[in-house]
Amino acid sequence: MSFSQIFDMINMGLVVIDKEMNVRYWNRWMEIHSGISSDEILNRSIFEHFRNLDTPRFNRNCKSVFKLGNFCFFSQKLHKYLFPLKTDSSFKADFDYMQQSCTMGPLRNGSGAITDIFIAVQDVTEVVMYEQQLLEMNTKDGLTGAYNRRFLETQLCKEMERAKRYKRPISVLMLDIDHFKKVNDTYGHQCGDLVLKTISSVVQSCIRKTDFFARYGGEEFCCILPETKPESAVILAERIRKGISKKVVKCKKEPIKVTVSLGVAGATEIIDSPDRLLKKADDALYKAKETGRNRVVVFNDKKVMA
Amino acid sequence: METASNNQITEEEKDILQEVMNISFGKASADLTDVINAYVVLSVPDVTLLKAEKLPDYIRDDIKDYNSISIIEQNFWGKFKGICFLIFPSRSGRKLVAMLGEGDDSFEQSDTMAVLEKETLIEVGNILIGACVGKVAELLSEVVTYSPPRVIFEDSPKKNISKDIFEPESMAIIMKTIFSFEGQDINGFLFLVTSQESFGWLKVALHRFMERYE
Repeated sequence: MSFSQIFDMINMGLVVIDKEMNVRYWNRWMEIHSGISSDEILNRSIFEHFRNLDTPRFNRNCKSVFKLGNFCFFSQKLHKYLFPLKTDSSFKADFDYMQQSCTMGPLRNGSGAITDIFIAVQDVTEVVMYEQQLLEMNTKDGLTGAYNRRFLETQLCKEMERAKRYKRPISVLMLDIDHFKKVNDTYGHQCGDLVLKTISSVVQSCIRKTDFFARYGGEEFCCILPETKPESAVILAERIRKGISKKVVKCKKEPIKVTVSLGVAGATEIIDSPDRLLKKADDALYKAKETGRNRVVVFNDKKVMA
Repeated sequence: METASNNQITEEEKDILQEVMNISFGKASADLTDVINAYVVLSVPDVTLLKAEKLPDYIRDDIKDYNSISIIEQNFWGKFKGICFLIFPSRSGRKLVAMLGEGDDSFEQSDTMAVLEKETLIEVGNILIGACVGKVAELLSEVVTYSPPRVIFEDSPKKNISKDIFEPESMAIIMKTIFSFEGQDINGFLFLVTSQESFGWLKVALHRFMERYE
């Protein structure tokens, strides 16, 4: 009995490549998932069918296996996949190709010389999908789909560091719903939730892909605006304010109108930490509330000097 | 008494090991240059015998000048068995990415620069560790296999490895080298640690190695 039957029954791709990068073995799993039969690919260069593999990184790793007898690991994190193979139907929507974790290692002849390398291909699509879901749950607010406060704070640290390093502007915008408690008391929490969702979607439609929008507290939201001076941030804040004031939320057949107050602050030489920047935006927001709500106030750093 | 002698490395054996390390790291350096197109300088390795529980202190002493570090660890298996720690000062990932000139597909596919940096640290770590461990094993006529490397700290000011990787009372051999890439401001420490479990095999292998020259 030949144990090599196992290679064709195992739930994993197995490929053997020689020093000239010609395919020496292609198991049944690879045949099924790639649609390329063993006959078609054997004794041909792996790059003929998989041109995507001809990268410095892949070649470097092959070399290290032949030369050093190394094992190499192609994690899904960076490579996503080595072989563009079809995923099982239920994951089609999430991924173009099967997500793979691949291992490469040496095969030696009788005298111990490395003549070939093997590549073992594992399908990790399902794991990656769960990982993405977990990640999302960990960084996003379930109700509004905006990022959560913790994510915002870590992101702000990164963005401020980047802004400092490259001497680029960065602004922060704080938004609070006016008289939100009244909405909850008058129409109930379900309607309150709907208002939160609506406001979130208005803001998301106004900001750029590179901005970060988060739910900061109960009815307070925050936006990180990289590459943005306070002057431009104010224009955006105005657009958001107007957008929300025009919006009518229908809940339990009741039309609800809300307004928001916004505070804007930009990083300066003095306002140089995430905490300080958030504090100044919050101060501006407080000012907006104090001076009558439904307005935008920008923090003026001249006041700091005074 | 039999086990005691099996578990102790004599001064003579330590000297042979030092010699083995010198030869194998020389070879590793040459082969690495071939693989990653950058000349890798490996300092003359330093062989130390230590109680396993002292390992974190020993490593801490060497890296005290670094503000924050990344540590990659990788296990290797066989008769020659142990663990490797590769310690880079922070921001090395970025420099490695630049050195390797990663402009290929893998970059476009990656989510962020941070992922690319981390994966490059792992890749280079894997190659460095594999070269060093592999050459030592080869010289002692052994073949080893590896677990995937892991980043245990990334740009972290916490500078320590776990105390519990080996039995605290057991002895360990630590082989240390400082590596750098010629013409690049990238360097770090490689610690190759093998525990008492491998001592029996190692003693035999070292003497067999010497016999070839006697």
